[in-house]
Amino acid sequence: MKLKQYPFLSLGVILILAILSSILIGSVPIPIQSTWQVLGSLFSSNRLINATHVAILLNLRLPRTLLMLLVGAALAGSGCAYQGLFRNPLADPYLIGAASGAGLGAVIAITLHWPANLLGYLSVPLAAFIGSALSVGLVMQLARVGLDTPITTLILAGVAVSSFATALTSLLLINASGELRRALVWLVGGSTLSGWFPVLAASPYILIGLVTLLTTGHQLNVLQFGEEQAQQLGVPVKRVRILVVLAATLATAAAVAFSGIIGFVGLIIPHILRRMWGADHRLLLPLSMLGGAAFLLIADIAARSLLAPQEIPVGILTALTGAPFFLFLLQKSHYPKE
Amino acid sequence: MNKHIHKFIVISLLILLISAACNQPGETSSTHYITLRDGLGREVSLDSAAKRIVSLAPPNTEMLFAVGAGSQVIGRDTFSDYPSEVTEITDIGGSFGEYNQEIILSLQPDLILAGGINTPELVQSLEDLGLKVFYLSNPTDLEGMYAMLQTIGMLSGHEERANQLIDALKERVNQVTTQLANISSRPTVFYELDATDPAKPFTPGAKTFYTSLIQLAGGENIAGKLEAEWAQISLEQLLTWDPDIILLGDAMWGETPEKVAGREGWGTLSAVKNGRVYAFDDNLMVRFGPRQVDGLEALAKLLHPEVFQ
Repeated sequence: MKLKQYPFLSLGVILILAILSSILIGSVPIPIQSTWQVLGSLFSSNRLINATHVAILLNLRLPRTLLMLLVGAALAGSGCAYQGLFRNPLADPYLIGAASGAGLGAVIAITLHWPANLLGYLSVPLAAFIGSALSVGLVMQLARVGLDTPITTLILAGVAVSSFATALTSLLLINASGELRRALVWLVGGSTLSGWFPVLAASPYILIGLVTLLTTGHQLNVLQFGEEQAQQLGVPVKRVRILVVLAATLATAAAVAFSGIIGFVGLIIPHILRRMWGADHRLLLPLSMLGGAAFLLIADIAARSLLAPQEIPVGILTALTGAPFFLFLLQKSHYPKE
Repeated sequence: MNKHIHKFIVISLLILLISAACNQPGETSSTHYITLRDGLGREVSLDSAAKRIVSLAPPNTEMLFAVGAGSQVIGRDTFSDYPSEVTEITDIGGSFGEYNQEIILSLQPDLILAGGINTPELVQSLEDLGLKVFYLSNPTDLEGMYAMLQTIGMLSGHEERANQLIDALKERVNQVTTQLANISSRPTVFYELDATDPAKPFTPGAKTFYTSLIQLAGGENIAGKLEAEWAQISLEQLLTWDPDIILLGDAMWGETPEKVAGREGWGTLSAVKNGRVYAFDDNLMVRFGPRQVDGLEALAKLLHPEVFQ
């Protein structure tokens, strides 16, 4: 009960515990003491430490932890904003083409055989990002009726564009020679780039997107009365809609570009938190970001320890655990108490 | 006078030190043991033959053992299973395309051999961790396989052994082709990779080892003109082609000639009626390495039993 009174405190504690576990747990056991020594050496000139441990902690675990944290926050934050914007519990950026567009972009880049220079390594995430943004843009354009963008047409256009992109992806896969495995690896688990580069490349977009979303909490609350009501209450509905879609797309596209298509985080995290702490978007948006980050970190720890030395793509785990848990929640509450 | 000499010595020593320090990271070209261009077009240099090697693909592991570098392999991917002693070497992952970089790092390898199934992004990530990676593209014919063996021999310091092996393999291939020199017909072959859906089986197309080995064994891959590497064809197409021989590359997943005869619509194929459907060990085809010559010999015997008694 006490937990319920301090949402930020309890989620914050969970997140910090998840970050610590993510740094401490891995295939190669590193004693806690040397972990502190390595992390401490960042701020001092202590060089009497195991070089392999330094590389594992600073070049593998730390950036991976940060990337998962950012991606989890991006997916859950965007999902929360979409559900509020569309007043539809099924909405998340994937619904209007963010994921299938990214997949198409990545597979195009892979089957085009770009040369393996620096742009070559950048090309796949870059193409995924562009594909994601383009397909959401296309959906927005197609869904426009006059000056308005009704939600129904938006979702219908999203489903149609997604199917089209998925079909194109499959077609490219069938004709891919030799690149098939690389493309499948991307579609299942995302870019196989590790280290600091993905973190540095994705964080500006994710941070700009999330900070923008955080400013829309009040307007999303008013929107729950319906669009006409909100308009009459002084909320610039169209501008809010475009702002939310743009910000969420920016964050999601950057997340998908490097970590692949990770399902269910954007859908279930806001739902669970809404059940616990209500539907005030001023709270729900930041809570979703915290919760999404913690959830994805925990899923990622499981992904790399369950079958070690094998690693399971984290998207498989989030869907595998997220879907049944979500159904369990729905079942348990029979129908919404709120 | 003395002072000048002193100064001269100090300054020249300083210059030497500075240039040595500058050179250390990359430019010590004169001391390189070897510099080779890898499958991604990168120049990779080794200061000495690799002693601690991690292999990321089964063909690489197989070839390392074949050239006598087996004891230098300290890590291998999950799918490497030949020769059998490989299973005792540390597993560094590889299913779902995810390799365990923590374990790779902790093994402290001096060379990582990546293969055609690995992504360039993975190569980049490993390089970023300060590891040396050599990427070997997939060969599509025996010449390419020999070149790969030679490269692996050079990188691991077993060039001579590799060359001897290549000569021996070439000799065996020669024997097969001389014996087949006077064959009167070239049977058409349908190589089945997968027929989970018997109405739409998968078969290898042009630019695959299958097509070139079947050719060498005195046959004709009936799908050898299809551009896709792994083509899914219709049963109608197969019935139109009506190949002389059907080889079951999916035998290791439990397909048998009897099961093929029982499939809907397959009974009318000449190969089925004439009893020329054979199980075939796909590892002898799909795994680049010396075992492909075993595969060639096995193919030749199946395709031309009249020559090889």
